[in-house]
Amino acid sequence: MNLMALEAATAGNAFTELLGGIAPEGTPTWALWLGAAGAGVGILVAFVSLVAMFSVWLERKVSAHIQCRYGPMYAGGWHGWAQTLADGVKLLLKEDMIPLGADKPLFMLAPALVLGAIFGALVALPLAPGFFFADVNMGLFLILAFSSLTTIGVVMAGWASNSKWSLYGAMREAAQVVAYEVPLGVSLFVPLMVAGTFSLTEASAAQAGWFGMHWFIFQNPFMLPAFIIFFIAALAETKRAPFDLPEAESELVAGFMTEYSGIRWSFFFMEEYAAMFLMSAVGVVFFFGGYHSPLTALFPEEATTGLLYQLVCAGTLIVKSFVGVFVMMWLRWTLPRLRIDQVMSMGYKYLTPLALVCVLGAAIWETIFA
Amino acid sequence: MKDFDEIYQRLEAIKAPGLLSADRPREGDPEDKTDKGRAGEAFVLIEPAAAKEFLIAVRDDAELAFDILADLTATDPDTEDENFWLNLHLLSLGHGHRLAIKAMVPKADPVVPSMVDAHMAAHFHERECAEMFGITFEGNPDPRNILLPDDWEGHPLRKDYEFPKEYHGISCE
Amino acid sequence: MTEINTPPEPPEAKTIEIPETARTLPSGEREFMLDVSTSDLEVNMGPQHPATHGVMRILIRTDGEVVTGGQVHLGYLHRCAEKIGENVEWLQYLPYTDRYDYLSAMNNNLGYSLAVEAVMGVEIPRRATLLRTICAELNRIGSHLIAFGTYGLDIGAFTPFFYCFREREWMMALFEKICGARLTYSYIRIGGVFNDAPVGWLKEVERFCDVFEEKWQEYYDLLVVNHIFVQRTAKIGVITPEMAVDYGLTGPMLRGSGIDFDLRRDMPYMAYGEISKAGVYDVPLGRGEKGELGDCWDRVYVRVQEMMESIKIIRWCLGCIEDGPVIGDIPKVLKVPPGEAYVGIENPRGELGHYVASDGGKVAKRCRVRGPSFCNVAVLEKLLPGTFLADSVAIIGSTDVVIGETDR
Repeated sequence: MNLMALEAATAGNAFTELLGGIAPEGTPTWALWLGAAGAGVGILVAFVSLVAMFSVWLERKVSAHIQCRYGPMYAGGWHGWAQTLADGVKLLLKEDMIPLGADKPLFMLAPALVLGAIFGALVALPLAPGFFFADVNMGLFLILAFSSLTTIGVVMAGWASNSKWSLYGAMREAAQVVAYEVPLGVSLFVPLMVAGTFSLTEASAAQAGWFGMHWFIFQNPFMLPAFIIFFIAALAETKRAPFDLPEAESELVAGFMTEYSGIRWSFFFMEEYAAMFLMSAVGVVFFFGGYHSPLTALFPEEATTGLLYQLVCAGTLIVKSFVGVFVMMWLRWTLPRLRIDQVMSMGYKYLTPLALVCVLGAAIWETIFA
Repeated sequence: MKDFDEIYQRLEAIKAPGLLSADRPREGDPEDKTDKGRAGEAFVLIEPAAAKEFLIAVRDDAELAFDILADLTATDPDTEDENFWLNLHLLSLGHGHRLAIKAMVPKADPVVPSMVDAHMAAHFHERECAEMFGITFEGNPDPRNILLPDDWEGHPLRKDYEFPKEYHGISCE
Repeated sequence: MTEINTPPEPPEAKTIEIPETARTLPSGEREFMLDVSTSDLEVNMGPQHPATHGVMRILIRTDGEVVTGGQVHLGYLHRCAEKIGENVEWLQYLPYTDRYDYLSAMNNNLGYSLAVEAVMGVEIPRRATLLRTICAELNRIGSHLIAFGTYGLDIGAFTPFFYCFREREWMMALFEKICGARLTYSYIRIGGVFNDAPVGWLKEVERFCDVFEEKWQEYYDLLVVNHIFVQRTAKIGVITPEMAVDYGLTGPMLRGSGIDFDLRRDMPYMAYGEISKAGVYDVPLGRGEKGELGDCWDRVYVRVQEMMESIKIIRWCLGCIEDGPVIGDIPKVLKVPPGEAYVGIENPRGELGHYVASDGGKVAKRCRVRGPSFCNVAVLEKLLPGTFLADSVAIIGSTDVVIGETDR
């Protein structure tokens, strides 16, 4: 791999610059890059874990309040904020069980692959103009590619478990993802046409104007249907209700996760919540102004390089993404589950053609008015 | 809705196959201390071999129209008794009346033709009855045990049943 | 169905015949699609499976997502209830009746008591009859709430389940006040009821009715008419009226197929004759509103509507209940005269029949229980083939089977 290209890709990255500032004079750039990469991975892991833990806690509280319950109330004191932490410790201490007759290497690899893929996808997500792990110019492609990789992990888990229920879950996941990748990708063409770039950093930056409300969703009339299609497809991608067929609790026990327990099981769990966050973040970046909001627009031009601005931007993006995550949870605790043929027909018969219509309409609109 | 006497008259009128007699509750004889009479409901006695034909006949007769087989079971009245009772309970949806039927099945040769052809509802009941009393229902489409394990020995609801001391190494005492 | 326990025969090697429709390639070879031979997968749904509502085992054979055959295996919860009935005294058997259909224990107590009373010929005080009716109908509501809530779970909607439990909790609190138990009541005794209602209990039942009517609309809007729910349940598991009669289905399963029959109205027992004459309640029927007559949606609809009808019956009873004794003249050690009787009552799941035979002693000669679930579950083997795996869960749920009752 070309080291220069890597350096170029990470140029302007906060870590590299930070390390350049503290490192002694004359440190080779590759060492700086390596250090930055190490720090980045550490921060990424911590970030994803935090997001997943917070999401799990949020899901429990949201579901509880929807269902007239309290949810966790004791662990940690305030509204059971430490419940996920306690659960995580419990899961870590649980016996590591691999069923007899399971394909051991695959069984162990699958959760790692799933989690690794979602980490990989999050690399291309910029939280703020200077907060990113890598400014990949084909960022969206990277995210879609990596998030599809989780499917391979799920299929692997289902196959390796040597359980019929797991196999069902895995096959459902494969069929479902194949059906919904297409509308997901195609619906994203619409904002892409407006943005003119695959890079999430550039797409975010392009939505800065008019009090930070120059969002793509307002740019042309085909954006809203495209977003709805994107959101539905994202639900199916992340195996969330009403598309939670791969793990359909009442039908397949727990689908592909049936034979997993302890920390391996929690990897799947973390992946689900990280994927939810990722998909909402992609939606936010390409439809709802990325890290821009009226709040970020308050900063004068010269302050936009400061740390405070970066933090406000990152906060904005995270809050917006969690709004999306909240809506996903809301749907999950409200709607029943679809059947596999209904899921398939919805993906192939309705969403894909509609997404194509949106692309066509947006293309015409952009040619005439932009 | 008909009462028992009207139903019985109709049964005789249509010459229901296998119909033997009626058994009505009666007062005990005040002179004879041993005769306490019989309480409860009235039932008809039928020939067990003709049970299926009987059920079809009363099902298809428009005035009786016993279209639901509510219950099929057996009773072991006593260890000394030579017969099992085969108890059938019919229900008519249209008329809202019931009929209790009893047939004497000899313990020496407890074989009854299956009633699945008359009422599909008999299927599970027959399987239960067969494993609990050892009555064979000839022609049942799936005559396996239903509640008991496949290798269970004996027929638990018989009065002379002795509880096994152990089952697959599990002590039952 | 063929014996499902034996593995399917491997397909025989066949010589491939080239069909006429095969294309001829430029090289002279013929090209055509072969039918891919797939083998069926046999899966044990249960004894431990979330969809079987207990420990029922259904051995299903699937071809991909399509179920090609199903076989019901019962008996995992067999507790010899009928044998116990022949070994304990009449009154001692009452707590055992709680345990077959543990979701409607009041109705079970009632069925057994009525059967024994039919042999004994006891006069039941008026207040006891009305208290029995109130309790039985309250328990019917509780049972239907569970049936409806868990059916939501089967379809994948979690939240209605908790809403149902919220109201059921109150119902159980009411029962706790009247008899001290929350699940296995043994409140309705041979000859009447165990105890009079505590002070203010009837008022609270009235309040429960008021609140429940409001909450009922919530369930209806949230799940029953939900588009996805309708899509999942309409036209699924269709039981035609003929089939329902042939299989001896009773209760909501029968009425879901559009047959207008309710034991409470058509063969009245206790105060139900009076209530039906007064036109207090209707018997809800499946009409094939969303799909076909007798589909899963119809059965659920019937159950949901029945809850409201039960509320009407309770209100009527509350309106005319007066003070008085609550138990008839029953000796401490019960001796039932020789004789036999079969009494069927309308349980939440269908006709609960008790056949009791006495030889005049302290112990029954025969104590037969005809559980409605036991009869209703038999129809599954007929319904399952040809459905999707997810539909099979919907169908099993719509039969509202309680394993305690099928196995007894």
